[in-house]
Amino acid sequence: MEPLSPEDGKRAAAAPEAAIPRTHIEIENLEIRYGPVPAVKGISFRVRAGEQLTLLGPSGCGKTTTLRAIAGLERPSAGAIRIGGETMYASAEGINIPAEKRGLSMVFQSYAIWPHMTVFENVAYGLRVRRKSRHEILTRVREALALVQMAPYENRPASALSGGQQQRVALARACVFQPSVLLFDEPLSNLDAKLRADMRIELRELQHRLGITSVYVTHDLEEALAMSDRIVVMRDGNIEQIGSPTEIYNLPRNAFVADFIGSSNLIAGQLRPDLASDGLIALETSAGQVVHGVAHGRAVPPEPVFSVRTVYLRLSFERPAGLRNVWPVRVHHCVFQGDFSQVNVTWGDRDLVVRSAALEPIPEGRDAFLSVEPRHCVLIEGS
Amino acid sequence: MQAPALRWQVPSGQAIAGFGVAGAAGILVLYPIFYLMQAALDVGDPDARPPTAYGLGNFEALPQYSEIMLNTLTVSLAATVMALLFGFVTAWILSRTNVPGRRTLEQLMAVPYYMTPLLGAFAWSLLGAPESGFVNQVWRALGGENALINLVTPFGIAWVMALFEGSVAFVMIGAVMKSMDPALEEASQVIGASRLRTMLRVTLPLVAPGVLGAAILVFAEMLGSFSAALVLGNPDRFYVVTTAMYQLVSQYPPRIPLAAAMGVSLFAVMFLMLFLYRRLIAGRSYVTISGKAFRPRVMDVGRLRWLLFAVCVFYVLLSVALPLMTLAFASVQKIAVAFPAASNWTLANYQTAFTMNAVRAALGNSLLLGVATASIGVVLMGLISWLIYRSRLPGSGFIEYLVMFPQAVPRLVFAFGMMWAWIVFPIPIYGTLWLLLIAYLTVFLPLGVRTISGVMLQIDKSLEECAQMCGAPWGYRIRTVTMPLLCPGLLAAWLLLFIASVRELGASILLMGPNAKVVTPTIVESWFATSAELTAAMALIQTLVIAIAMVVFLALTRRASMYAGE
Repeated sequence: MEPLSPEDGKRAAAAPEAAIPRTHIEIENLEIRYGPVPAVKGISFRVRAGEQLTLLGPSGCGKTTTLRAIAGLERPSAGAIRIGGETMYASAEGINIPAEKRGLSMVFQSYAIWPHMTVFENVAYGLRVRRKSRHEILTRVREALALVQMAPYENRPASALSGGQQQRVALARACVFQPSVLLFDEPLSNLDAKLRADMRIELRELQHRLGITSVYVTHDLEEALAMSDRIVVMRDGNIEQIGSPTEIYNLPRNAFVADFIGSSNLIAGQLRPDLASDGLIALETSAGQVVHGVAHGRAVPPEPVFSVRTVYLRLSFERPAGLRNVWPVRVHHCVFQGDFSQVNVTWGDRDLVVRSAALEPIPEGRDAFLSVEPRHCVLIEGS
Repeated sequence: MQAPALRWQVPSGQAIAGFGVAGAAGILVLYPIFYLMQAALDVGDPDARPPTAYGLGNFEALPQYSEIMLNTLTVSLAATVMALLFGFVTAWILSRTNVPGRRTLEQLMAVPYYMTPLLGAFAWSLLGAPESGFVNQVWRALGGENALINLVTPFGIAWVMALFEGSVAFVMIGAVMKSMDPALEEASQVIGASRLRTMLRVTLPLVAPGVLGAAILVFAEMLGSFSAALVLGNPDRFYVVTTAMYQLVSQYPPRIPLAAAMGVSLFAVMFLMLFLYRRLIAGRSYVTISGKAFRPRVMDVGRLRWLLFAVCVFYVLLSVALPLMTLAFASVQKIAVAFPAASNWTLANYQTAFTMNAVRAALGNSLLLGVATASIGVVLMGLISWLIYRSRLPGSGFIEYLVMFPQAVPRLVFAFGMMWAWIVFPIPIYGTLWLLLIAYLTVFLPLGVRTISGVMLQIDKSLEECAQMCGAPWGYRIRTVTMPLLCPGLLAAWLLLFIASVRELGASILLMGPNAKVVTPTIVESWFATSAELTAAMALIQTLVIAIAMVVFLALTRRASMYAGE
């Protein structure tokens, strides 16, 4: 079809040595501006073949812009995007392959179901563009519709579908022509909570079954944790942290990630190397409590801070024995929130927040002991 | 090897089509404006082109015609006040009270806009001329003396214009009243304010910018209006700026530079008004428009609602039914009188209208031009809308400004610029239908682009992007997704352009050649040169053609709104 370029040859030769799993999408120093305003400020990351990677962040952090740049719907101002070893965009060489030639597929936030076509025609579109035979179109569309359990709706006009059904059709339409990459732009955000939880699981299973590389954008933390192999946390056009869901959750790199992913207490103090032992580090707060925690190989900044997840803090009425981080506290406030209770305790000169699964409400003003394992007190990097 | 080929695909068909269309629109709009300015500044030998000397002499001569300026301002002001009164009262009744039959009335309120002021002027002249007017004949038959009303006067011009523009004011003020969040008023009442206090301190300030916007827009349109002043003013030698310009151009010897100076001044004032209007619209973000659809609070007015119902019906009667009935009544008489004898009835006027060569040719030309303008216009304006609102090509904001520019120029003034521009054009199109086609395409740019872009903006952008992600190239996308979705909107725009072309007067009357006549100026000629009865018959035939197009248009827009909910 197309003449092989020298790069193709190189890639073929290099493939056996490449680490497994190999990189499928490579973003290098990507920068996107709207006029003078930078929306994405020179970010780099890789997506491995078959991986589900999620871009997570608050609205306006540049995650959707990044996804649209990968898709080819947004023209970056600098950097490079390579997919499957082919350069899709490179500012240096002046390459920008239009979206329709990138061989990707995308599920849109609004589903983008064409109202003037039937369900079948919607799904068949990508195959018709590729001039597949009538027979092939029929079998593959039926397969795709069966995959999303929409086979009985084949001949419905697309405008007569519910939100969840439209979502499924959009998914079938996106996978039917076997794209090399699937992109998702907050696909579940228009569904109601219950349906969203179901679709989350279905999407994850489907992605595993097809083994397709996918990039997923969301601002919903639970969705990101449940669906991703790896998460890229973004803020203000920069990447804050890249890692697996558990890494991101347990070892937040900085105060923003600690706060955005779940809820955390941030504890600042002076480094006390004299009190440290067993590979732990120790901080002394301004009120004099000593907290032992882990540095995880991170360099200790001049003003060190621990992040402590609210769910890892334990409250007890008797002093737990044999633990390092134990302090007497007073319960200051307790709010029952269903699956857990949120307890504010007075700890020296400040409040800490504890999420406790205790069924019994704790009376306010009661004295108690607060404890936490040192491995859950994680040193974060300075900003 | 691959890279250069790929680099070429970026400015592809899209960019070429885009810049081509933008360039065409630029030439259409700016070329005549340039010649208008040139003529206005020409103080040299009137027979020499290009001008031998430039100066401001023509503008300095304008104060001699201050009476015309004063006439224009008085008539426009009077008409604006009346139109706002009609618009405000009917808008309030239909959006805030439980008047019966609201939905039907609301649709009827748009109809006056599709009647032309020309039709209204004919009808009210037949009704209200001091001697022969039907109303005055009835008055004398009842024992009255002289004339009860005289509408062949400045007041008549304002009256006809106000009836016509009242429906514009209604639509604009009604939109503001409807989009107002009732919670804003409820909040005031909850705090303990009385109904009157709420009305004065909350409702009125919220509606005021909308009313002011309507006032500016209506006033600007009045300044540029032509046909009512021509029919009701010229017999008494009462001129406004547009009719004076027409007089200066068509008299012998013509006084082109003076007319141009008048046109430029009028255009400057209108431009200022529309600039103010845009500023007002832009600055009113604090008001009520929040994109949510509210169910406005409806006041129970008790038995008064039948009176309010009658008020609305009366407006529609005065602006639509009465003029049409008057014309129909006049068109089937030999000499139109209020109490015709049996021998006076005749269908000869219709027969004449259909058999007179000049009329048949003019009607044929108009229909041909209407079809051509609408067909070319839809493609051109569709591409422009797409360029402005969908492509990410640079300079689309400037193109939008350019395309909306003809709105600020009265059609007669614009046509004047075109006349002057195309006379010296190397290809002899002056006096042919081609020039009219170009003129129509230019002056209707704002109408077409606004209609199409309205539909285009309702279509979610991701519908097109999704086709792109499915691998469809630009042409394929446009054909399979954009066009089918736009189809009802494009058809509606086609019909609007067709209607607007068939009834166009201000531009046609200056640009029409003796061998390429169109229907509306022919009707006007007939009014002044032949008989009112024949003119009435011709006007009704034209109205019928437009009415048929309207019915189709309404059916289509109803279908177009079906997709909009997606």
